[in-house]
Amino acid sequence: MTAPFPASAFAPDATTPLILALPKGRILSECGPLLARAGIVPSPDYADEDSRRLRFPTENPLLDVVRVRPFDVATFVAFGAAHIGICGADVLMEFDYPEVYAPLDLGIGRCRVSVAEPVETAGMDDSSRWSQIRVASKYPNIARRHYASRGIHAEVVHLNGAMELAPGLGLCRVIVDLVQTGSTLKANGLVETEVIAPVTSRLIVNRTALKTQPEAVGAWIAKFRAALEAA
Amino acid sequence: MTDDLPPNPALLPAGLLDLLPPEAETEASAVEALMTVFAAHGYQRVKPPLLEFEDSLLAGSGIAVADQTFRLMDPDSQRMMGLRADTTPQVARIAATRLGRVPRPLRLSYAGQCLRVRGTQLAPERQVAQAGIELIGHDSPEADAETVLVAAEALAAVGLTRVSFDLTLPMLVPTLLDDAGITGPNRVSLARALDRKDAAAVTRHGGALAPVLTELLLAAGPADRALAALAAAKLPALAGILAERVAATVAAIRAASPDLRLTVDPVEFRGFRYETGVSVTVYAPGRHEELGRGGRYICGDQASGTSEPATGLTLYPDAILRVAPARQARPRIFVSFGTDRGMLAALQSDGFATVAALAAVSDETAEANRLGCSHILRAGNAALINTEG
Repeated sequence: MTAPFPASAFAPDATTPLILALPKGRILSECGPLLARAGIVPSPDYADEDSRRLRFPTENPLLDVVRVRPFDVATFVAFGAAHIGICGADVLMEFDYPEVYAPLDLGIGRCRVSVAEPVETAGMDDSSRWSQIRVASKYPNIARRHYASRGIHAEVVHLNGAMELAPGLGLCRVIVDLVQTGSTLKANGLVETEVIAPVTSRLIVNRTALKTQPEAVGAWIAKFRAALEAA
Repeated sequence: MTDDLPPNPALLPAGLLDLLPPEAETEASAVEALMTVFAAHGYQRVKPPLLEFEDSLLAGSGIAVADQTFRLMDPDSQRMMGLRADTTPQVARIAATRLGRVPRPLRLSYAGQCLRVRGTQLAPERQVAQAGIELIGHDSPEADAETVLVAAEALAAVGLTRVSFDLTLPMLVPTLLDDAGITGPNRVSLARALDRKDAAAVTRHGGALAPVLTELLLAAGPADRALAALAAAKLPALAGILAERVAATVAAIRAASPDLRLTVDPVEFRGFRYETGVSVTVYAPGRHEELGRGGRYICGDQASGTSEPATGLTLYPDAILRVAPARQARPRIFVSFGTDRGMLAALQSDGFATVAALAAVSDETAEANRLGCSHILRAGNAALINTEG
């Protein structure tokens, strides 16, 4: 049989706090004002990237905050380890978890998922003649889907960072990456050739949590909606 | 060639597992408890085979699990066979053919294992137990309510009283989109936005329907609020009939069992995609897996005119056992070599599992301990072993 989970992990009573998963890094600071308007006041060190703590109580005893890597927010919420989360649309597109609902566009963390390639090769040949292409990306699924939709098989080299180096070193022809200002691309001799999708951060909730605790989870969605309208 | 280590014999293919003591016995008794409740409500048991011809297995409602079905060729008939991934299509086939002449409404129940080609990340199991009921030949809110009520009673029989039933209308969204003439890529985007409850995208792709759809999207939750929103939306034609149907079903369930926790999600349209009326998903609060699923479908073949309305609900015993309170295992008692069989029978009828010595042993207490017995037979009496000693 499967190794059992401790029963307390699923304790389904009204006194167990809901968990809100927040992404470390860039988006976290943009979340601050929104959280304040939604009435969420986590203990002050939650935004301190040097703090070793990962879970923070808030002034509301029925809500705790956890801080995880942006890609992991969707996973925590999909598995129900966190009930609510804030997560970029890029991550949702990549994982495409059916267990995650994305009820609100928070309008923060604005950027885009784009294709970029070296200035020298951009526009030099007709991509409709390609059968396959080698792509470096931290979004293998987005890259594969994007090229498959135009009849090209993408061989994806999965990298976690420093994507911009890959074409110049002969690892791949193009990269699929998150672009905010484009300055990193430019500094590495790359040019953005195509926008796959615009990205903003979304409020996400676990599907089962919304079905089984509709009052509590729905109330938080409503608070975030009100906070957005107040902005 | 490299010398790979020989595979560990304990390793099973992904998504398959051995059920060990005491879980295997617990599972069997839980399935029996569920089936007893089904039988008490007049649901008669059928047992379809594990394998059958692909054409019949995947016909009608079976098409929904076609991509999850293992197939193999029958060397005898040279025809393709499928291993069931869901039992409902088989029961529907039985009802439409061999039991076609039995008076309606026909109540059937079943319990068995299903296999799926792949699990999901969240539910990795590829072998799934099912225990369920089908109510065939009656199209009414009362029939929909009956399957929910019987399932709730069956769950209570295994100690699960805090469950919630989520009612959905899988055909509502497609009907609304048809009526509004939304087609092509916009329909795909809108359906996806509704599926993910993405209000911003619903507004973007919804056109004239956007206000109604957003309202219904936000109404998902406790039954009363959702039904009020459905009524207020004044949906046209077929969509309106569906809305009235779910309201009537909720009323019928409430009349029989006022405390049962019900939620309604009007725009949800997921699941085994063959439901045509009210569909149901069973949840336990705080758990992130479904305990069961069911709904209304068309039984039989529409083309040949043998189709009839049907509804059913399938419970997943594996998921139920992960949530249900632990059951007291039968206590094991060690009995000396040569103990009289009448004595064994008496102990067994008192609820003990007897573990008989196969030869005389010198230290019986130590032996009983070694074999995991909680009791030992001393001078004709069951004595508790002090496990500290």
